[in-house]
Amino acid sequence: MKRILAAAISLSVLAGCTKLDEKLNGQVAESQVSSGSSSSGNAAALLQATYDAMLGPFQDQARLWALQEHSSDECIGPTRAGDWDDNGVWRVLHRHQWDATHAFAADTYTDLGKVVFAATDLLRFNPTPQQAAEARFLRAYANYSILDCWDQVPYRVNTGDPREIPGIRKGTEAADYILSELTAIMNDLPTSAANKANKNAAKVLMMKVYLNKAVYANRQNPTFAAADMNQVITIANDIIANGGYSLTPNFFDNFAPTNNVLSTENIWTAENVGGVKSGNVRSRWFCTLHYNQNPSGWNGFTTLSDFYDKFDANDTRRGGDYAGVTDVSGLKVGLLVGQQYNQNGVALTDRTGAPLSFTREVKSVETGSNLERTGIRVVKYAPDYTSGDNSNNDYVYFRLADVMLMKAEAILRGGTDPNGQTAVALVNAVRTRAGVAAATSVTLDNLLDERGREFYWEGWRRQDLVRFGKFLGAWQEKDASDPKYLIYPIPARSLAANPNMIQNPGY
Amino acid sequence: MNATPLAKKLASVLLLIAAPLIMMAQQKTITGKVTGENGSAVSGASVLAKGTKAGTQTAADGTFSLSVPDNATKLVISSVGFAEKVVSLNGQTSVSVTLAASSDQMSDVVVIGYGSARKKDLTGSVATVTSKDFNKGTNTAPEQLIQGKVAGVQVINNSGAPGGGTTVRIRGASSIRGGNTPLYVIDGVPLDNRSARPGYSLPDIGNTPDGNPLNFINPNDIASIDVLKDASAAAIYGSRGANGVVLITTKKGKSGQPSLDFSISYGSSSLLKKIEVLTGDQYRAALTKFGINSSNDKGSNVNGMDAITRNAPTKNISVAMNSGNENARHRLSMGVLDQDGIINKTNFKKYSAALNSSYKFLESKKLGMDVNIITSQTIEQIAPVTNNAGYRGSLIGQALQWNPTKPFYNTNGSLNITKGSDQINPVAMIEAYHDKATVTTALASIAPYYKFNKDLEFKMQYSINYSTGLRKAYISNWLNLQGVERDSASGIRGGVASVGQNELITQQLTNTLSYVKELSKNVSLNAVAGYEFMRFDNRGSSQSGKNFDNYGDVPYYNYMQYVAPVDRGGSSFATPTVDLQSYFARAIVGIKEKYLLTATFRADGSSKFGSNNKYGYFPSFAGAWNISKEDFLKNFNAVKNIKLRASWGLTGNQEFPAGASRGIYNFGQGSLFQYSFGNPDLKWESTATTDFGADLTVLKRINVSVDYFNRKTKDLIFPTGIGDPVPVGTAITWRNIAGTVENKGLEMSFAGTAIMKKDFTLDLGFNISFLKNKLTDFVQTIPTGEISGSGLTGAYSQLLINNQPLNVFYLKRYMGIDPQTGISIYEGGDAKFYAGTPNPTTLLGFSARAGYKKLTAELNFNGAFGHKIYNNTANAVLGLKNLPSDRNVASTYYNQAVSQGETLANPVSASTRYLEKGDYLKLANATVSYNIGAIGKITKSANVYITGQNLFVITKYSGFDPEVNTNKQIGDIPSYGIEHTPYPSSRTVTLGFNFSF
Repeated sequence: MKRILAAAISLSVLAGCTKLDEKLNGQVAESQVSSGSSSSGNAAALLQATYDAMLGPFQDQARLWALQEHSSDECIGPTRAGDWDDNGVWRVLHRHQWDATHAFAADTYTDLGKVVFAATDLLRFNPTPQQAAEARFLRAYANYSILDCWDQVPYRVNTGDPREIPGIRKGTEAADYILSELTAIMNDLPTSAANKANKNAAKVLMMKVYLNKAVYANRQNPTFAAADMNQVITIANDIIANGGYSLTPNFFDNFAPTNNVLSTENIWTAENVGGVKSGNVRSRWFCTLHYNQNPSGWNGFTTLSDFYDKFDANDTRRGGDYAGVTDVSGLKVGLLVGQQYNQNGVALTDRTGAPLSFTREVKSVETGSNLERTGIRVVKYAPDYTSGDNSNNDYVYFRLADVMLMKAEAILRGGTDPNGQTAVALVNAVRTRAGVAAATSVTLDNLLDERGREFYWEGWRRQDLVRFGKFLGAWQEKDASDPKYLIYPIPARSLAANPNMIQNPGY
Repeated sequence: MNATPLAKKLASVLLLIAAPLIMMAQQKTITGKVTGENGSAVSGASVLAKGTKAGTQTAADGTFSLSVPDNATKLVISSVGFAEKVVSLNGQTSVSVTLAASSDQMSDVVVIGYGSARKKDLTGSVATVTSKDFNKGTNTAPEQLIQGKVAGVQVINNSGAPGGGTTVRIRGASSIRGGNTPLYVIDGVPLDNRSARPGYSLPDIGNTPDGNPLNFINPNDIASIDVLKDASAAAIYGSRGANGVVLITTKKGKSGQPSLDFSISYGSSSLLKKIEVLTGDQYRAALTKFGINSSNDKGSNVNGMDAITRNAPTKNISVAMNSGNENARHRLSMGVLDQDGIINKTNFKKYSAALNSSYKFLESKKLGMDVNIITSQTIEQIAPVTNNAGYRGSLIGQALQWNPTKPFYNTNGSLNITKGSDQINPVAMIEAYHDKATVTTALASIAPYYKFNKDLEFKMQYSINYSTGLRKAYISNWLNLQGVERDSASGIRGGVASVGQNELITQQLTNTLSYVKELSKNVSLNAVAGYEFMRFDNRGSSQSGKNFDNYGDVPYYNYMQYVAPVDRGGSSFATPTVDLQSYFARAIVGIKEKYLLTATFRADGSSKFGSNNKYGYFPSFAGAWNISKEDFLKNFNAVKNIKLRASWGLTGNQEFPAGASRGIYNFGQGSLFQYSFGNPDLKWESTATTDFGADLTVLKRINVSVDYFNRKTKDLIFPTGIGDPVPVGTAITWRNIAGTVENKGLEMSFAGTAIMKKDFTLDLGFNISFLKNKLTDFVQTIPTGEISGSGLTGAYSQLLINNQPLNVFYLKRYMGIDPQTGISIYEGGDAKFYAGTPNPTTLLGFSARAGYKKLTAELNFNGAFGHKIYNNTANAVLGLKNLPSDRNVASTYYNQAVSQGETLANPVSASTRYLEKGDYLKLANATVSYNIGAIGKITKSANVYITGQNLFVITKYSGFDPEVNTNKQIGDIPSYGIEHTPYPSSRTVTLGFNFSF
């Protein structure tokens, strides 16, 4: 009996040797990531994750695009009874009444930070020089977007240590850092297609930073330095002369489902692969189209009549038929106002059975019986009917027209073109493509309007209004606002997690 | 007792007949029958020949046959719920024994972790529910059997879906994350609390609710359920014991005459409550009243809920075979449940088979072996009902808001589907949606043991629990659902299909050494020490495809190769293997039967824990005083069996994902990204429970238990973000954060036989618990309780916030409709206020069973009080704003709008307008049964019954059922007490027939 007892106990003890080491079966530990050499897939997979991280914050309707557009004079998200109240998130953006709890602002800040983190993390794992340069470019672009909206750009040195308290770069320091990064990586960047990080994309980003640098130093009263403006002009000349880009004859081809083929103008885009993987570019048309249109939309955002009235009647950018869209569904591209039709010319109705005729006027909170139909709709990206949820339209960050108009602005702000090109010539090149008469002269106010007509709903309006000193003014459905709204508040949760951060003034 | 003279007479007659037989044998066989006072057979009663090793149990008809040594003179007969009886044989070989019912359960044996103990020796808070007290009717999972039966235990059927999930909380929620589910242990085998059923997310409509991981058990196979509530009882389960432990004991084979038990039932279910929406005529009038274009009047009079629901039959057959002798006993059972859901096309089937055997070997009978095998397959036809439906709603929302003037079918008989429309025809939704989940489970355990002597026993248990789930779903391309609908103009074929597969494997090896001995006249010891190793694995994969063509009714998921490669998707996962290694010990010491001391200790090492905290230690101490044994109370007969208990102990909760302590990178499509940072300090959540209790018997037969408890949970496990910038994979470090979840409460239960006459008995059970839940020392504020629907993006209703209960509602305060504008007014505009708690402060259970001769009637009530429910259904799909959108409105909201002047433009917003009192009292089931007894020589016993479930609910809650819990979690944080277009509850009437041969 004693023997059996002893055997039983020793069996127990024998079984008890487990070291409790954890075996990861479907994931990899940090040590397994770093085991790869530079030629192995690991750094490439990490880089892909960085590109993927860009999709959300730039393309979703509730991220950076909302912060740049809804807070401006060209976009509004009216509350329509049962729709789009969404706890008031859209209203406060347009009225400049947001605070540090704004969910979309907080999520955008975090999502942009993810790009920064993923890019920095990749650098630990032995990338090729080109992989490193691409990652650093994506990081620079995310940093620039954070700087533009929040002023405070957090960074990490060692991404492997979660206890590290991120450092902060602000204003001019952040702008200079971005410029130094872009300079450092320029040689290693490829000259590849628009939908990957490339040399010209880095150059346009440098232009953006130089052009806005004075704003980042003092948002209320920027003083634009001639040296910065000359940098803008020099880089623009380089791109115009050597980039091989030309304005795409049909403005809307730049945003079409096959814009990667059709556009001769796009310098940097996010690659969306139809049916496979893409950002939420489809939200650009979904968020504006009525339920009874094709595609059936979410009946949300519109532009405002004052903005609509900035267009000449014959401005092709104001919209019209587009092949592959109008013949399929009757839908036009551009700004939609008045009665809508299907492909057979039959007038559409709204859900109450009334004619689906979009009104010019729209209110922040709609109360009338026509609340489904109010507001001018905006279709810049032609809907992709064939790819389901993952649309094929590459999302446009930079294009040649922007380079030209930035150069024109730099000239107006005191820069000098060694080639002797004038601001009005540059503006007219863009106007000619749009089919409107050439201007004889151009002022800064003219230029802001031209940028509005050219880049509406592309995510630049807030930045432009700030730089032109117009952001705090009153416009439709918005009163004049406090200067604190020139930058967004640091999200409460980010503030709580980082003792190096202090809340932006006024919040 | 009244029956005794008769029995004596009978016995003496038998004695005369049997006497010659006894003379001849060395061993003699005693046969007999054990009955209760009302004449009904007592099955499973233990029959022992006093002073010998011979013993057996009675069969279902109460009979037994026992071979005893010639010199045996007395039989000891005992059974749960009856007073033990000693019968002198006086040379008889056939005896008839009548047991007196007893509510004095003190001598009953109670299953506790890794052993058993006499109820009177317990120092902890343990509640036992045996099969005769289980809830009656159609139940698919074991926790439903004890709903309302145990003080401090709340069981919620999350929805009315057959085989649907439940929420079980013992003494409130202690974790701010998920993982408030108790540990379930079946015959010594601890379960993984996950279900192998793969999840499925519908395009545009959301995620379907999870399955119930306990569906694999046939409730008919369960003999008893013990709930370990306090630390003295649960600490032996260490890092998995913090939410309480539910021990399920299955029915065992009985020695004696083989028996065959059948039970057959047929039931019919119907919708418990219909939510009133406008009829077609009312809708027409409403369109006119609100000046809406009459083109939305399509001329019919239909109702969406009527169109998708039905009276649904349930068939249930169980067979159990018992056989055995003193050395080998077997029970083999099989069950078939076929339950149609009240929503068309939905169905739940369960096929189960279980074998339970125990053997004794060697001449000395010292070596024994218990074998237990449970196999089952559940097959569900699932409805397109989701937790987080948005604008287009899921089936219930679509049905509620279907324009009642719009026919479901066109005049040519085809389904009325408007291409590109946002209105989904609920009839078409069901037709187009096909979702079948099959979960196959095999749980096998083998437990050899060796008794060194009558005190010392070594037992080893090895078990493996393998569960695999397969889910196949497709949605036909003619449905006008975004992402599904065919569009020939643009060349989209449409249609989606998916196949998901999932495996869960749990292995266990437990070695225990137990020692039970009367050390001296005054000191008894019940001790156990053991070692346990468990391993958990979970892996799975899924494939999906889209853009199909239709070939008759061949399911898309059967020809996924048909679609273009670009339209196919696939993914797979395997979670880290979890190893749990434990050492444990327990000693219960009794002194003079007055003073009891229990100490338990468990050391749990888990591969999940961080490298600096590999082992957690969980002690508990308890004492009890059988004060009635003291001389000064010896003659105090009004209150008897008074026992005072006190306990303290630590238990843990390790329900966090495997790999959480490690720095991990996950795979994306061609990409790799950081998912979590390592935390070598990560450890279990730790719950300290103090319990003071008293057990006593009043009025001779009423047992009363009162417990006060205080549970404090610390080291809350929470996925903590780091400061921006953060990694792509949501960037978390699993940490033990500051904060305490405190659950305090008082539980009282009363059970016993109120009236016991010859022909009439009345058993009553009543339990009530008062619970208080509070989160303290918590520095963060974390939102959860997502409110979904059109216009509600980003809305949430609940917070985890310091000094409040978990999941308190914070909402805009609705002040009514502004008569000037017709728009809702909220106090302070968009400001949010504390609006109540979803956690009931009072739980109630009441049961009554009356027996008159062969007729028995039984009622079981349960209720919960003091809490609020958020009616997301009303908020999202029943409001006035539907009217101009070609959608229907609930009558209550329409009438409110008319009387208060609400306009169509009133924005939808989450607010206290949709927060309702959740108090309810429910007649969960009522049964009338008639004991036919033996039918000639064909059956030994037979019994017929009729049961009604959910017969009525007393509540002010306006939704389908106040017993509801739609999963509205945000991130990892569970919600509680929100209804969002769930599968509605049903009322079921079941007619059943039990008989045995």
